[in-house]
Amino acid sequence: MKNRRAGPHWRRTFLCSFALLFLSLGQAAASPQQKSIKEELFVLPGEVGKRGGRLVFALRGEPKTLNPLIAADTRSREVIGIMQADLVHINRATQLTEPALAKSWKISPDGLQYTIVLRHGLKFSDGQPLDADDVLFTFRVYLDENVHAPQRDLLIISGKPITVRKLDARTVVFRLPKTYGVGERLFDGLAILPRHLLEKPYQEGKVSQIGTLATAANQWAGLGPFRLKEYVAGQRLVLERNPYYWKTDVNGNRLPYADELVFLFVPNADAQVLKFQSGETDAIAQLSAENFSVLSRQLRGYTMVDAGPGLEYNFLFFNLNDLGEKTSPELTRKQKWFREVRFRQAVSAAVDREAIVRLVYQGRGTPLWGLVAPGNRRWGNEELAHPPRSLERARALLKDAGFSWGNGPNGESSLLDSEGKPVEFSILTSSTNADRAKMATLIQDDLKQLGMRVQVVPLEFRSLLDRVTQTKEYDACVMGIASYDADPNSDINVWLSSGGTHLWNPSQEHPATAWEAEIDRLISEQMIARTFAQRKKLYDRAQEILAENQPMIFLASPDILAGAKNSLGNFQPAVLEPYVLWNVEQLHLKNAPENAPR
Amino acid sequence: MTMRRPLAKWLVILGVLHAIVVCAGFFAPYDPIEQDRKNPYLPPMPLHLLDAQGHLHLRPFAYALKLREGTFDQYEQDTSQSVPMKFFRSGAGYRLLGFLPSRIHLFGSEDARICLLGTDAYGRDQFSRLLYGGQISLLAGLLGAGCTLSIGLCVGAAAGYFGGWRDDALMRVAELFLALPWLYLLFALRAFLPLSVSPLKAFFLIVAVIGAVGWARPARLVRGVVLSAKERDFVRAARGFGATDSYLLRRHILPETSSVLLTQAAILIPQYVLAEMTLSFLGLGVPEPAPSWGNLLSNLQQYSVLVSYWWMYLPALAMVPFFLGYLGLASSLQERLEPYKIERRSPGSLA
Amino acid sequence: MRFFFRRLRHACFLLFGVSILAFLFTTLAPGNYFDEMRLNPQIAPETMAALRAQYQLDRPLPVRYVSWMNSVLHGQMGFSFAYNSPVAPILFVRARNTLLLTITATLIAWGIALPLGVWSAERFGRLPDRLLSWATAALLVIPDLALALGLLVLTVRTGWFPTGSMTSLDFGSLSLGGKFRDLALHMTLPVAALVLSGLPLLIRHVRAAVAEVLDAPFMLAARGHGIPRRTLLYRYALRVAANPLISLFGFSIGALLSGSLLVEVVMSWPGLGPLLLESILSRDLYVVIDGVLFSTMFLVSGNLIADILLYWADPRIRTESAAR
Repeated sequence: MKNRRAGPHWRRTFLCSFALLFLSLGQAAASPQQKSIKEELFVLPGEVGKRGGRLVFALRGEPKTLNPLIAADTRSREVIGIMQADLVHINRATQLTEPALAKSWKISPDGLQYTIVLRHGLKFSDGQPLDADDVLFTFRVYLDENVHAPQRDLLIISGKPITVRKLDARTVVFRLPKTYGVGERLFDGLAILPRHLLEKPYQEGKVSQIGTLATAANQWAGLGPFRLKEYVAGQRLVLERNPYYWKTDVNGNRLPYADELVFLFVPNADAQVLKFQSGETDAIAQLSAENFSVLSRQLRGYTMVDAGPGLEYNFLFFNLNDLGEKTSPELTRKQKWFREVRFRQAVSAAVDREAIVRLVYQGRGTPLWGLVAPGNRRWGNEELAHPPRSLERARALLKDAGFSWGNGPNGESSLLDSEGKPVEFSILTSSTNADRAKMATLIQDDLKQLGMRVQVVPLEFRSLLDRVTQTKEYDACVMGIASYDADPNSDINVWLSSGGTHLWNPSQEHPATAWEAEIDRLISEQMIARTFAQRKKLYDRAQEILAENQPMIFLASPDILAGAKNSLGNFQPAVLEPYVLWNVEQLHLKNAPENAPR
Repeated sequence: MTMRRPLAKWLVILGVLHAIVVCAGFFAPYDPIEQDRKNPYLPPMPLHLLDAQGHLHLRPFAYALKLREGTFDQYEQDTSQSVPMKFFRSGAGYRLLGFLPSRIHLFGSEDARICLLGTDAYGRDQFSRLLYGGQISLLAGLLGAGCTLSIGLCVGAAAGYFGGWRDDALMRVAELFLALPWLYLLFALRAFLPLSVSPLKAFFLIVAVIGAVGWARPARLVRGVVLSAKERDFVRAARGFGATDSYLLRRHILPETSSVLLTQAAILIPQYVLAEMTLSFLGLGVPEPAPSWGNLLSNLQQYSVLVSYWWMYLPALAMVPFFLGYLGLASSLQERLEPYKIERRSPGSLA
Repeated sequence: MRFFFRRLRHACFLLFGVSILAFLFTTLAPGNYFDEMRLNPQIAPETMAALRAQYQLDRPLPVRYVSWMNSVLHGQMGFSFAYNSPVAPILFVRARNTLLLTITATLIAWGIALPLGVWSAERFGRLPDRLLSWATAALLVIPDLALALGLLVLTVRTGWFPTGSMTSLDFGSLSLGGKFRDLALHMTLPVAALVLSGLPLLIRHVRAAVAEVLDAPFMLAARGHGIPRRTLLYRYALRVAANPLISLFGFSIGALLSGSLLVEVVMSWPGLGPLLLESILSRDLYVVIDGVLFSTMFLVSGNLIADILLYWADPRIRTESAAR
């Protein structure tokens, strides 16, 4: 065991070899070069930065763990993303895959087998070498039912797990039970774990208990650009540069540039803005439009960037669950309207999406008519109809569906259903999300003009989730989901009627409607389709069906707004998470002190 | 006689302010929930009597505001378009005092709206929202303080007067009430209420519950006063003459608690009005689109609003007289209810 | 001594009651920690069920209570789902930070309120007293949150103080004096916010209590004896007026852990505030229950101290309880 780890002699050299050369901005141009030297480093193009200094960012809340096996919250995942690395990585700027720990990969003609070759000379941040056994161990842990890793569900395809086997010390073969349309994107975000640290706890069944924030710096290791240095409870997490990191810049300087990376913990978005405005942090992301314009108004040595539409989509949906016996008579009556497709179409026609974009996002957003957000450049359906707001059309649709108008108690016009009962319902929103609460208030006013009496009920988020996913006692709800990847398969459980986030009627055993069955068919078909064109065509069709039936009434998608100090080099915010830190290894301080203390 | 003047002064001030709020429909020019999506965050429109050419007008007017091209919230004054103020104008319907239907408003305008305190994120008139919001908020404040004080008085007096195990038990319960995580109860309460309970009713219910569980503090204060009052000589004497418990409580002991109760009431009413700000932060406040002082104030919780739109402070300033009024009323009442203290206070005593 | 033990017994009873009710309430609120994962389209419902089972969230309430009690007795105080670690170490660090803040603020607030209240009572009804009344009234009217936010905006504009958190990044490398200075600089804003929000109430109570005493005949008599003004006010008047003030002081102690939550959140102070708010919203049950239990402990000890002080200061209570 020890002998194997001692392995090939490794000499610390900069600029040893070029693996693949990728342009990280927009156009991907590969020009592989080979040299027969032991370390195969990834050469990153782009501005050559200055070495040294400390990068400071504020996190909205504290990360909870460093252990990728249990991290469930976004902050933990953001921090882990910086301390760990994956085999194949999705470049957040190009939205395409690029080799990471894997030097290259090969897909078998039937699309079932992925042969991955690791880079030479890779080392964890504690200096221990990485080989195929670490990869095998990693996937064994991920797939272990007793560990409950969230990654497990990604690696189960049609109920069967992916199998992994080792060819030699640097080559691993993954075998999929079925062809999988996403392809190698699957590996993005799956951190390769240090076997030398985790094997013992794993065998003792304690692997999910390690990696707390209080872990000593020498007890933790990863393959990311930074490694653990210090954690101060409630205040900050300090990371230091990983001297064994496997990327260099074009001049052969080993990345990352910064010596230290500090995450300050602040309780909310406003505190984040204050820290940035007072110059205590170097960059900021996930800004609300209001805060963006506050910061833009007075540029004190920083630049603000609107990176364009992101992957978050906000929508209104009605309760279409079939609760059988348990349905209250009131909900039964309301569901008669909700199930009427013309009712949903009328609501969609009455919603003023332009006003939402203007009043909620101050114009820094895009109105939305389909599930694929505009930030997803390759997958949007250009053909999808974008009907403008029209109350006449909405009224015509309602009339067509048997609704009529009468006078309400205060003399206002009131919409009546076919039994002469007034149309009244409530919309749930999360009380902690100001944007969505605003949308609901605007929708309420829009629908008032159709004579519907709508009440907005803000609920604290857990209570809302409990109603929507558990008790299913609600009328309608405004919610938003941010896809984590530009491949629409990341939202597959929204599409599929069996999915847990098929929010209007989740986890169905059999599709409740013909169109849901049709969407299910299209989505499963694209899962095994091999080419992009085939998959795109199927997805386009699915989007059209969704738009016709309006189970989700799409509202708007906000832009990704970010900012950084002028002294921060290589600042290129992306529309994918982590918006600013995706190229953290390249971020550098133009005014970094010479010979900064290490 | 002279000492009654401040009390009367505060009563008049509060009376006038409450009358304005109660008749909000008449004083407010517009419907508080009517959105004007073209004019979000419109700054206040000052009223003029002199126009740009220096001519004097008898009828006050405002200049219309125009959105600057390509901006979201930057307006400029259009001096070519004046909006004259029309008095006793017919506008949005409302019910005066809750039952008299009417359409007459104190003032209004014809083409453009006159927004004296500007507009909010949805372009709703802040002035109208302020007036209407007072109705909900003051009701909530009175309701909450009423619940708290009546329970607090009963429990505190009982504990202090009877003493012994009853005192112990009641004070233990009071401690329990002070310590419990009521936030959870409130979450649970809102989540369990059927959605068909209108959000406004739900809010009042929550205020009543908060009021009801807040009795522990005044109860402890009342108990402290009762404890020391019942050892006073005149109480002992009365008891010696055979006075009953209820007579003693009513005649001698409870009056002693009035200063504590009034101080508490004066503090609690504004506190419950403001508590709504915290409640709305948790999604338990007065829900949109209904206006309330709490949700007018909670706009200020956002840093961006705080630094971008100065007129969002104005409702907060407008509320100050109310709160000061309550405080002032309480101190004058305190002075009046303890006349023996004032009689003896000759100028210069103890100076 | 018997008095003290009786109080201690009450305290234990109270803690027990609170722990049970806190448990009940937390389960009344809908949803659980793992619910948010439902919105992550990648996690299967089965995984969530397994997680719930692993953390015993599917077990009946009494079972969970007993196992939590057991863990409290072992000094772990339950388990945090979010931090995946025992609650005690998480809570202790933050409780320490909170106490640092609130004890400072409470001392300062009382240090200002006592002389100011006495000063004002002495001039009862005259101009300086009225001015002070107006000032305290104005402070009372401003909501705590607005006060804290206002101070923050001021800081951003001026850059005089750091915007939140407790220590600078270089804290570890500072000298002892430097550390103290750094800490003081970071504490200024939250302490100011706490003092300003707590002060008006204290001043008004001190003033009311002392003013009442100053009118008593024995004070006139004492004055007639030619006792100096300062002695009269602080030795005699304040001591007699102490009864309601001691109760108030008990509240101050009781609020040490829970009184600064809002300010901590706004000012990014790494205390219990941000932790508890996040735990409540994310349903990290045991963190919340322990937080409640902690602040109850403070409340109880605050009351205990107040009772002992009252016993010491007010002979009427002393004789009554001795007679029992």
